[in-house]
Amino acid sequence: MMLTYKLALRNIFRNTRRTILTVMLIGFSLAALILTDAVTSGMIKVMVESVTKTISGEAQIHKKGFRENLDIDLYLENSSTIEGQLAADDRVKAYSPRVIAAGMISSSYNVSSGAVYGVDGEQEATVSKLKEAIVEGEYLSDSPTEILIGRPMAELLEIGLGDRIVITLAEADTGELSQALFRVSGVFFFGMREFDENFVFVNIDKAREVVNIGNASHEIALLFHDTDIAASDTQAVLSELNQGDIEALDWRSLFPEITSVLEMSGFSSVIIGSILFLLASLGVINSMFMSIYERIYEFGVAKAIGTKPRQLLQLILLEGFLIALISCAFGIAVGGSLGLYYEINGIPLGEFEFAGVALSNAIPTVLSINQFTHFPIYVILLTLTATLYPARFAAKIVPSEALQKSL
Amino acid sequence: MSSVITTKNLSRHFQDGENIIKAVDDVSLNIEAGEFTAIIGPSGSGKSTLLNLIGGLDNPTSGAVELSGTDIAKMSGSALSDFRRDHIGFIFQSYNLIPVLSAEENIEYIMLLQGVDTATRKKRVREMLHVVGLEGLGDRRPSHLSGGQQQRVAIARAMASHPDIILADEPTANLDSKTGIALLEVMKSLNEDRGMTFIFSTHDNKIMDRARRLVHVLDGKVDQEELK
Repeated sequence: MMLTYKLALRNIFRNTRRTILTVMLIGFSLAALILTDAVTSGMIKVMVESVTKTISGEAQIHKKGFRENLDIDLYLENSSTIEGQLAADDRVKAYSPRVIAAGMISSSYNVSSGAVYGVDGEQEATVSKLKEAIVEGEYLSDSPTEILIGRPMAELLEIGLGDRIVITLAEADTGELSQALFRVSGVFFFGMREFDENFVFVNIDKAREVVNIGNASHEIALLFHDTDIAASDTQAVLSELNQGDIEALDWRSLFPEITSVLEMSGFSSVIIGSILFLLASLGVINSMFMSIYERIYEFGVAKAIGTKPRQLLQLILLEGFLIALISCAFGIAVGGSLGLYYEINGIPLGEFEFAGVALSNAIPTVLSINQFTHFPIYVILLTLTATLYPARFAAKIVPSEALQKSL
Repeated sequence: MSSVITTKNLSRHFQDGENIIKAVDDVSLNIEAGEFTAIIGPSGSGKSTLLNLIGGLDNPTSGAVELSGTDIAKMSGSALSDFRRDHIGFIFQSYNLIPVLSAEENIEYIMLLQGVDTATRKKRVREMLHVVGLEGLGDRRPSHLSGGQQQRVAIARAMASHPDIILADEPTANLDSKTGIALLEVMKSLNEDRGMTFIFSTHDNKIMDRARRLVHVLDGKVDQEELK
């Protein structure tokens, strides 16, 4: 077996240029696959974080039917009880109750419709990025008249910090119109058009008073300690909360369109990987065939002196295996280096919104152990599969014909 | 002397379009142990094909090749490989060494296939290099050996497996006259001193002069046999 290894190793360096080209072809394919997966994982991470960390949380609790048309009458009467339950659950990292009502937002100069969010400033800061999104003025304190508005809405209403805003809402249950006066205490900018143009935030107590729902709320947003939403602990929390007319849904159920986009991203990675590997396989087959045709006389001699077809098959497969190993080392080095660089610096894709989610201007790649274990194993298996065809060809060489061809 | 090879009504036909080429046609031949025989004839007469059939490198269209009583024409691929490995040594016209292996490794290769233990292999390699006059050159790769030296390594390799018979297809064709004669002397002494059986396919006068038996082949048939 040692001689077979020696033979294989020396054979692959007989034509160094061809071996280097083959190694580069396979290695760059592996590197491209690692990078593609790292970029996709990075985009998914950014998208998921944009969805879950910006405002929505990793899960939300509502009364059944509320999400369909934001019916102000469908509030959680037992919000305090649920909040107490969440506070006592060590699987839950943070939560924030919200009062949500559609209303009319008026300044002295203009009027706009929008969604009024009543939030507890302190709790909201643990769940969403509202506090970090403040670009002018101050975040919510306990003052009942303060209001945070998005920059585009401020421009539309032609107002700035300290200016007055009147909000008109329908009271819950009765439908009676109710008005309240606020002064702009802060301007936020999430970079997501939907939020920046349509949302305003006020203190939850004031919102409860205006819509007249006592201590109730319309929504409770949650974050978990385990960010893997599929984790059994996380799903157990949601399952416990899903009782009667209360529904607790994770972000995948809340935003099915984003879940679809993520699934498509995974699918496109598989397609890209398959194409890359198909091309690399053809390269390997071509390279191995060239190598075999060059040595056809040698194989004829080897078989003439008693080498069995199985032994020739093993030799060629071993050559393919060694090429795959060298290619993997090269691919891991290239893919790993680039992946690490972009993990630190991010890939500059510019600022854009995808599937309603704002992505930052530099997507950091996400490297994982799978990319450096599973992918190289796939590459080795694929190279061996691609080598099998030329190897079988070599094993079937008829000595007398091989000797004649070369003479 | 006992018979080593017997061919019985051996034929090898090739289809070339609508024509059938009878490369070997109904050849019956008997080779005794210790012979130094040359199969001779013009180019295309069928001598190399006959040698290939005798060595089990090609399958006959009809007839039998019996080597030490075994009909090799009926053997399967793997069994035939084993048979060639253990009973037949080959020397080819072109330098037929594995270029990435040294002279020693080339000689050792066939013994590795036979499963010979390391100590015996090393001992036999040294012995064979001595016999063919290549002591001190064992670590050289074929590209660093002359044509004559490469053919000596091929002879050493052919002998290393202790075969019953050595088949040599135009072994001197690519060598200059002086080197060819030196090489033939090595083979002749192996034949005389060790009783090794040699069969050549050739049209080289140097071999014909040294052969004790000449088998003339013409149009695939044995035309004439000559004992010297």
